[in-house]
Amino acid sequence: MAESKGRPGSAGQRPTGGDKAVIGGRKQYFRRKKVCRFCVEKIDDINYKDIKLLHGFVAERGKIVPRRISGVCAPHQRRLTDAIKKARNIALLPFASSF
Amino acid sequence: MRIYEELFIIKPDTPEEEADQYVEQLQTQLTTAGATIDKVEKWGKRRLAYRIDKYREGFYVLLQFTGDANLVKELERRLRVADMVLKFITVRIDETLKRLEKRKKVRDKRSAKRASTAPPAGAPAQPSLEKQMTETPAMPGLPKEA
Repeated sequence: MAESKGRPGSAGQRPTGGDKAVIGGRKQYFRRKKVCRFCVEKIDDINYKDIKLLHGFVAERGKIVPRRISGVCAPHQRRLTDAIKKARNIALLPFASSF
Repeated sequence: MRIYEELFIIKPDTPEEEADQYVEQLQTQLTTAGATIDKVEKWGKRRLAYRIDKYREGFYVLLQFTGDANLVKELERRLRVADMVLKFITVRIDETLKRLEKRKKVRDKRSAKRASTAPPAGAPAQPSLEKQMTETPAMPGLPKEA
């Protein structure tokens, strides 16, 4: 993963869309296609009270996991962000966990 | 009329009966002001994700009611004034509920459609299984060719 990022040349050609298998260069990198968990499991309601669900999309330090990593689709990421921010407001999730 | 949800945290060192009484009081005030209480949920004592006023835990109470916007204003004022309330959040949920219902309807319709088309498809299920059996030996050959 890190090597494919570091390759020069390819950066300009393919600025985005890292979820397909990268073919070309010396090696072939196969990346598993990421899928949106909410689309697959048909979760309609992303509620700020559902901490169990939200916990999976918050990094160790309390940051929201970017969708390039989690694979969540854009409409769902928007709702997810809203929910996480609401949950933070009422102390269900941390703004920043310190340890 | 709109549907709202009020989630608030009561200080952990308040006696339970006092907290209950306070919640009860809020409810009666809301109903006299013209709201209908849909749901009251007490989550009990929970750990807070971060410290609020030197408290690390608190009693969570969820109040769902239907009413007008000025009711929320009044309720929020009351919560702000109250000593035992650490934090609160008001969320308007009627539009979300509507959206969810719509989604559910679409889902149901789609699954019903699938169910109605399934019986004709279900009849030749056994032949297709046989077909699969015969086809599976051919499958490993395909990646080799490619």
